[in-house]
Amino acid sequence: MALKIGADDLVENPTPRVPVSLCIDTSGSMLGDKIRELIEGVNLFYDAIDEDDDAHDAAEVSIVEFNSAATLIQDYASIERLERIETVDPSGLTFLGEGVNLALDTLEKRKSVYSGSGVLYYQPWLVLMTDGQPNGDPDELERAIQRVTELVAAKKLTVFPIGIGGDADMAVLARFSPNRPPLRLQGLKFKEFFEWLSKSVSRVSRSTPGDTVKLDLEGLAGWAEL
Amino acid sequence: MAFTEFHYQVRGRGHTAEGVHVQDRTAYKHHRGVQVICLADGAGSATHAEYGAQTVVDTGCSLLIDRFDEFTTGDDAAGAREAIIGTLLAELEDTARRVGCDVADLASTFLAVATSTDRFVVAHVGDGVIGYIKNDEMKVASAPDNAEFANETTFVTSTGAAASLRLFRGSLEGVTGFILMSDGASASLFDQQTRKLAPACAKLIAIAATAPARQSKNPEYKKRLKRVVDTQVRPATKDDCAIGILARR
Repeated sequence: MALKIGADDLVENPTPRVPVSLCIDTSGSMLGDKIRELIEGVNLFYDAIDEDDDAHDAAEVSIVEFNSAATLIQDYASIERLERIETVDPSGLTFLGEGVNLALDTLEKRKSVYSGSGVLYYQPWLVLMTDGQPNGDPDELERAIQRVTELVAAKKLTVFPIGIGGDADMAVLARFSPNRPPLRLQGLKFKEFFEWLSKSVSRVSRSTPGDTVKLDLEGLAGWAEL
Repeated sequence: MAFTEFHYQVRGRGHTAEGVHVQDRTAYKHHRGVQVICLADGAGSATHAEYGAQTVVDTGCSLLIDRFDEFTTGDDAAGAREAIIGTLLAELEDTARRVGCDVADLASTFLAVATSTDRFVVAHVGDGVIGYIKNDEMKVASAPDNAEFANETTFVTSTGAAASLRLFRGSLEGVTGFILMSDGASASLFDQQTRKLAPACAKLIAIAATAPARQSKNPEYKKRLKRVVDTQVRPATKDDCAIGILARR
């Protein structure tokens, strides 16, 4: 046997993934500055992930929008495959429960893909952003709340409910996150939020077994009100 | 025929960048015809993981020598698991007192292979991989014990560690080598998808088997294996890398 070890003798396992689901309100009330700032923030999030050595290979992002329906507008993809968002036309109602359920369904499918192909992954993150009160099917809302809280209790999901503006229903958002109060965005500081989010994803992607990934709560001060 | 040994750990690129000590540890011991090699990967969250890992590999070597016969012939597997974890925890408690920390601050995985003339024992808690070559075929004795997420595993200090300890034993007939690797080293030496060892593992074991009968302090085969770890295994991960090998022709 030739005892020189070449590249073919080693394996190249895929980088463990950090699945991040953005579940965003695109109802009519988001029209104007809110949606424009949100889109800018998401694209800035993509740029920040792209520039971070660790997050670049690890982060996979999906986007679900909810208005009078719930739609998967971006399935899970690495930064190389993510398409920058040009425009979103807000309209209709706020089917928040339907949106969260679609985001969770999409996440479950992605986790199956990971497991089937030997890709390790970290605890998924769900970012839920809304500026209003949910007015979709109440049963869907209750089902979404139950699914999220069960996953959070089992430490299978990290959830960030974010209220946009003064009309966001913080009480409903609080029901999605029993361990940590929802955050209300200061003004329209989407950029600051997504910058914080990209850094947090990077921290997770650097963690090894036994690491407790603590959220940078001081970093919240720049963009959120607890 | 006795095995030659090689064990080595190197600080990962991530820990180098952060100024953190290497938290992987390896050890080898032979006594009364029993050869033991142990490896431990200190938990990133544990403040004194390197002390814990060192304690675990030192204690593991002595324990498996002292109780090798019992572990290879006894019928009480559950008792053996409790004995291994209990002994490791007792030493960790002692270390915790000396260092001035909690036992949880010493968390690490534990991988061990012990051999005598014709029998072997494998013990494993947590992630990392233990493989072996039997009749020229590479096999995985014990694969990583990850929970659902990449940054979760079981440590010696975890609740239920004894129940999750994987304990195997068998005949050495046809066995020409064992390889133990930490999570970091497994990034390039273990295929997560196929759950098989990389071809390099057979070559690493073969290199170790080339050891001359007359040993020098730092023989050529060890220098060569260290170079492989430093230049080919370490760059594939940011984590610390540790490898232990027992090999014979």
